[in-house]
Amino acid sequence: MPMLFDETTLRKLNQLTLVASRVRSGAIKGERRSSHRGSSVEFADYRNYTAGDDLRRLDWNIYARLEKPFIKLLEEEEDLAVYVLIDGSRSMDWGEGEEHKFNYVLKLAAGIGSIALSSGDLLSVGFLQGGHVTSEFGPSRGQYALPRLFRFLESLKANQQTDLNASLRDYSIAPRRAGLVILISDLFAADGYESGLRQLLSRGHEAALIHVLSPDEVDPPLAGDLQLVDIETNFEQDVSVDGGLRNLYRARVQAWIQSTQADCRKHGIRYLDLVTSQPWEQALLLEMRRTEMVK
Amino acid sequence: MQFLTPLAFALSALAIPIILLYMLKLRRKQTQVSSTMLWEKLLKDRQANAPWQKLKRNLLLFLQLLILAALVFALARPALQTKVVASGSVIVMLDASASMNATDVTPSRFEEARKSVLTLINGLSSDSAMTLILVAKTPQTLIASETDKSLLKDVLSKAQVTQGSADWSAAFALAAGATRNGAASTVVIVSDGGLPESGLPALPSEVRYIPIGQADDNLAISALALRASNGVPQLFAEVTNTSNVDRKILLSLYLGNDLFDARQLDIPANSQKSVSLENLPITTAIYKAHISDPAEASKSLDSLALDDTAFAVYQSSTARRALLVSNGNLFLEQLLASLPGIQPFRALPAADGTLQIPSEPFDLYIFDGAIPAELPNSNLLLINPPTNPFFEVGETVKEIKNIQVNENPLTRYVDWKTVHVLQAQKATMPNWMNILIESDSTPLVAAGEKNGQRIAALTFDLRESDLPLQIAYPILFSNLIDYLAPPSAFDSSQSLQAGESLTLVPPTDAEQVVISSPSNKAFTLAAGQTLFSQTDELGYYAVNFVSKDSTKVEYFAVNLFNPAESDLSPRETLQIGSVSVIPAASQQVGLQELWKWLAGLALFVLMIEWQVFHRKPFKIRMKDKG
Repeated sequence: MPMLFDETTLRKLNQLTLVASRVRSGAIKGERRSSHRGSSVEFADYRNYTAGDDLRRLDWNIYARLEKPFIKLLEEEEDLAVYVLIDGSRSMDWGEGEEHKFNYVLKLAAGIGSIALSSGDLLSVGFLQGGHVTSEFGPSRGQYALPRLFRFLESLKANQQTDLNASLRDYSIAPRRAGLVILISDLFAADGYESGLRQLLSRGHEAALIHVLSPDEVDPPLAGDLQLVDIETNFEQDVSVDGGLRNLYRARVQAWIQSTQADCRKHGIRYLDLVTSQPWEQALLLEMRRTEMVK
Repeated sequence: MQFLTPLAFALSALAIPIILLYMLKLRRKQTQVSSTMLWEKLLKDRQANAPWQKLKRNLLLFLQLLILAALVFALARPALQTKVVASGSVIVMLDASASMNATDVTPSRFEEARKSVLTLINGLSSDSAMTLILVAKTPQTLIASETDKSLLKDVLSKAQVTQGSADWSAAFALAAGATRNGAASTVVIVSDGGLPESGLPALPSEVRYIPIGQADDNLAISALALRASNGVPQLFAEVTNTSNVDRKILLSLYLGNDLFDARQLDIPANSQKSVSLENLPITTAIYKAHISDPAEASKSLDSLALDDTAFAVYQSSTARRALLVSNGNLFLEQLLASLPGIQPFRALPAADGTLQIPSEPFDLYIFDGAIPAELPNSNLLLINPPTNPFFEVGETVKEIKNIQVNENPLTRYVDWKTVHVLQAQKATMPNWMNILIESDSTPLVAAGEKNGQRIAALTFDLRESDLPLQIAYPILFSNLIDYLAPPSAFDSSQSLQAGESLTLVPPTDAEQVVISSPSNKAFTLAAGQTLFSQTDELGYYAVNFVSKDSTKVEYFAVNLFNPAESDLSPRETLQIGSVSVIPAASQQVGLQELWKWLAGLALFVLMIEWQVFHRKPFKIRMKDKG
């Protein structure tokens, strides 16, 4: 799988930063503004002096003018832990050429990883297969980790049946710094994904969901009496497709996307649905910015 | 509604294999998809996989079952019962006589009759056959025992009404011949009733009668004739009112195209009035009589226009020139002088016995006892001739016994019983000569025609018999001379009826005879043809005798002059044999079969099914496992 990030794309990626609304305290100073007031040089606010405060941070100028002690609060900058989780189920291995779902997802992951690394965040990539996290990248920081990330992504194969919930729970069990979890999946999982994601949220993570579907999953070019075979589960489904049923299917897909979106909003999960007919760069640069996953 | 072959419904069992095939057709195409998750949920909602729903949705199956149903019903031959006049083996006699031209029903009686026959054809059941006889002057079977309705209709549409009378006896003979073929048949007479009151033979089958026509208002010129009275033509016209009301009419008489007399006549119901005119010009002329409404001449007087106009021809007779070449025969000379219309000439032989023939032509040459070296190329009467180019003459026969007179127009009224012949020459007559009177030993009188030249011969000398003293003498010679020198090419004084044949004897110098009809159709008579029978149109015909240097025209007229045809009153009953036939109601039960419509429906649905099959999108993207 060629991971072709040309210079222009890379430069554009480098200008983007991942957004986490409830920023987690970082282990080291990063390029990210922290909700903690700290010791950087950027002014943030004033507050009343209380006993025990560090006198070095008392604003003497204000004290001289008002004869009241105020503590000057300065911004503290910190890094962000970013966890990209890739659905490795066989249903992801679907589509032709540029529209191939898994390739598309890998490119998205590479893009997000590249953004994270270039903005000094701590990046981890997890590959979900079966009921587990089968392989993991990172945590890494800094642009030098980019080639390693690409090599890791290239080594991934979507060829197993996957239980998203179990995999997500598995991922949440391991002790990790709270951060931004981005799950990229087609959500074709019989048992759903909700409980897994909720468990991640309960661990203090912030979550985002990128829902990727190929065009023929949104509008299947099927007609006649067919036996549909699920490539992941090998489940066989008899169906007689006509115009009416196709309309029903399309409506059903839209309803599914909408209910997922509503569910995500309820739990404070950012949601982005993508169809692989849309160029992945566009998805990264426009759609993710639109949904405020990056800025 | 009934079904003629209900057994065919068993074929509807074919629907079972069709439905089975459709259910087995659920050998579906395997198609890989990334996930069936959404489909499962969708189908759980709809339960669309139930087999019966598949059938309901499957338009193709529905159409195929519809085709099968239509075909099965067609094979079962559903039929509607209809009341028809006749069914089974039907013989239709369609009256095409002149009275069928009457317009008292629109557009005409014949069209009305055609419509009636068409109804009969449409009402025929599929195993019925129809024979169609067109009754005209010469009745003809248009089509015999035909079951194909389209053929019957085609023939019917080509049938034409004539302007002549109808020969019902001949038509009945045709019908009787047709009935003999089939066992039980029905004869349907479609006519306005112009059948003879009596004398028609009984038919071996049931007879039905469809009367045509309503009105009886008709006036007809029933006679128009010319005759010479003291050498001056005299015209006689008669007008008949066949209706039940008194009528007032205007009779116009034309000489050529010029009106020369017109008079108003009051004609009581069911009676005639006649008019005669004298002192008409002697020249050959065509007279036309026309009757019209005195109030409005352009308006048609009655329903039948054919008999409102009549024509007559006056032919000024020209004397026929006959040359008698004889040493002197008192009997012959006196006879020729007394025959009307004959201008006799006599040529005496020269002193040395050679015969002198004048160079000017004669209509008839009579050679008594001797013939010249070269016979003129004209009609000849040879009396007691020697051997000549036409036949051999042998020795004299004294015993003339068992004289026999053969049946021939030339021997009509000739009574030979009291005639005695002393002696005659033994002669051998060629085949083309008809022997009129013969004895045991030799023919006595013979006549014949060869290459347009008429020859008559007596093999005995008149003076050696008592023939000139007998009544038979003038009769025989008048017949012979009229035969050899016809007074005119034909007799134009009597008009013909439509369809009647005209016998004409063209002048011997005529090379071609062309007859033009009233509608200016030209008929050329073949050489030697003396009968002209295309006299279907009413009016006057011009007969052109074209010879080398001149053309002679004679005329003859064809008129209706038929009281039976002019009488338009509809006939309530027909007398056929000893049976009275009343107008037929629709008595028999006919069957109108519907299978053609069903077969058509099947074909139509088949075409729709074809369209549906080809329009249905079968664009299936298969994921290649490799």
